Parts: sequence; C-alpha cells; structure tokens
Amino acid sequence: MKRPVPFFLALIVAYFSAIIVSCTPGACFEETNAFLKASFYLDSSKEQVAPDSISLSGLGQTDKIYNKAAGVQPALFPLNASTGSSTFIIRINGVYDTIEFSYSNFPHLISKECGYSVFHTLETPVFSQNNIDTILIMNRNITTVNEENIRIFY
Amino acid sequence: MRRIYAYFISLLFFLTAAELIAQDTIFYPLKIRAGFDLVGPGIYIYDNDHLSLEGYVSFDKSEKMSFVFEGGYVDYYYSQYNYDYHSNGFFGRAGIDFNFLKPEISKGRYWAGLGLRYGLSIYDNETPMYDQDNYWGTFTSSIPLSSGTGHFIEVTPGFRTELLRNLSLGWTVRLKLLISGGGGKDLKPIYLPGYGNGGKNATLGISYYISWNIAYKTKRVITKPVVVEEPEETEEEGVVRQTIGNM
Repeated sequence: MKRPVPFFLALIVAYFSAIIVSCTPGACFEETNAFLKASFYLDSSKEQVAPDSISLSGLGQTDKIYNKAAGVQPALFPLNASTGSSTFIIRINGVYDTIEFSYSNFPHLISKECGYSVFHTLETPVFSQNNIDTILIMNRNITTVNEENIRIFY
Repeated sequence: MRRIYAYFISLLFFLTAAELIAQDTIFYPLKIRAGFDLVGPGIYIYDNDHLSLEGYVSFDKSEKMSFVFEGGYVDYYYSQYNYDYHSNGFFGRAGIDFNFLKPEISKGRYWAGLGLRYGLSIYDNETPMYDQDNYWGTFTSSIPLSSGTGHFIEVTPGFRTELLRNLSLGWTVRLKLLISGGGGKDLKPIYLPGYGNGGKNATLGISYYISWNIAYKTKRVITKPVVVEEPEETEEEGVVRQTIGNM
C-alpha cells in the first residue's frame, strides 16, 4: 500500500463511527394504544352517520373520553388491559346506553423505540338498547391498525 | 537454393515471432485467517448492557474467493421508560468473500471486495417488565423467558490490509436482511444476536476485525498476458534478404 497512514486513519475513524452509531437511541413515532374502533350508522337508513352529540366514559371512571362531541367517526374505545372486559357508558344524542366488551389480551411489540402494546381479541359485546339498535362485529382483532372493529346502529 | 532456404527461415521466424507471448506470473499466497471483532468490545466499554463477542476464520479458495465462517455470543440488556428487555444467545454465519483487487495488487495482503453470508441465531429472550398507560390507568406485566431461532442473510462490502507481518486489520459494512426472527408476528425479538433489531426487516452493522493470517499454499497466478510486439513484416524480410544478398 502506497499510503498506509491515511488508510489506517480511515480504519480508526470507521471504528469509532461504528460504535457511536450503534449506541444512538431512537424515538417513538408510532401509535401504541390499541383502541376498539366503532363506526356509527343510522339504523333507519343503514348509512354511516356520526351522531350530533356523543359522550363516552368507562364505568367507574370520572374522566370522559368524549364529552358532547360532534362529528365523531369512528369513536375510539380504550379497553382495559388489566381485565378481560370493559364497560362503557355511552350517550348518543342525549340517550344513555351501556356496552360491555369482553376480550382476551396479548402483548405485541410495536418497536424497540415504542415498546409493547396490549392487543385484544374481541368477543360478543353486551349492550342496552335505549338508543342503540344493533352492534355488528366487523373485525375481532383490536390492534393499532386503523381498521373498523364494530358498527353501532342507532 | 540459398534464397529458398532464406525465405523459409525468415517465414518460420516471422510465424514464431507472431505467436510469442510473455506471460506475467506471480506467486500468490493462499491464506488461512483467524480474527476477532473490535466493535463489540468497543461498544461494551461505552455501554455495559451490550456484550458482543465475535470471531471468524477464513481460508482462500483462490486469489479471488475465500470461504468464511463467523461466530459469536451476545448478551444484551435494554431498558427504557416503558419496558426492560434481555436477550442472549449465539450466532453463526457462513459465506464467501470475493476479492475485487487484482492478484498483483492484492498479493495476498490486501483485500477490497464483497462478502455474502447466511446467518443463524439461536437465542433466549424475555421482557421482565413492560407497562402501558391508557384511559384506565397504567397496566404493568411481563413476558416470560422464551427461546427462538432467527435466520438472515448479509451483504458485506469491506476492506482489509496487512499492517504487520501476518497481522491484518480491516472492516466490513454489514447490510443485513431478515428471513425470520422467531417470536411470531407479535413478539419479535428486540435484539436478535448477530443481526440486531429483530423488529426491522433490514439492519446495518459494521465489523472491525483484527486478524492473524498465514499462508498454507502458494499458487502460481497468471496475470494479464503481455503480447510481444510483432516484428514488422517488410523490414524483417528485407533485412534477411539483404544479408543473403551480401553473402
């Protein structure tokens, strides 16, 4: 080799660059919560129509997920990963209903940067029928992917 | 009669001269090498949670190609705000290195080329703790110890030079493609020994090797043939004829 010193320096620079790059942490930019995604349909016309007003909260929780919100489509229901079921109180256009979702939980790695999320497999929901007429399950797998899980006909 | 002889002699000389080719040859040492990686220990000094020990052996099949076997051990801890993770295991790679340098430049001392590898990783991993915050509060759980096997391929361009007698230093960039990491679609390994982040289909790495090498055989390699310039036809004949004419 005609010029061994620059070549040797290049090797040393490459060595320390490799160590620095290997140890650089990343940031999480992905969705980490697996929400149950519910679309609203008018029972009369079977058309997808967001309620004029929706309020949603978990049974026993003081915080509301939605509070008289308009134009919510779809609604995101956060499921409790500590238990196998979650009950929600939902108010659609001023009329209250309750929906109980039963499911199984399993961990899923989102990424090294984001860590783990708990995904769910949905079972048949139980609900009151004050304003809700029917709930259809479209996809039982509740993940971070933006896919419709249920349809609520009201 | 003399002229006829002279003609045939000159013709024979011309034909022979036209086919004269001088071949350059060198004696190329085919070597066995053994070395270890310096990046892993370097990272360990910087980050005690990541131990990676790796070595390799290779032997030259020819001046252009070598067979390579690499192996190593990894013990990896990782912790961040929402989980702790531990992975450890062994990995092996087997493949071929191609030397792009000409033998007369390489001389068995320098290497600049490309390698191809198949990699196998056998590991255990566990997540002693992970948590997730949502509307219902903080959920905390763990994932027990499980074993897995991963497969991957690598393309490894790089350089190597013999700095001292029988002692070489070199580095290779590792472009890694995951075939399968084990753990299924939900619990991919965060760190797959020998590969890196098991959640990614492609990763990049680098190895920086110091290696000892010794020649096990010397091969006579024909380098680019040099053709001797043909003597010009008219001049050669003219010289011969003139000589004969003077006799």
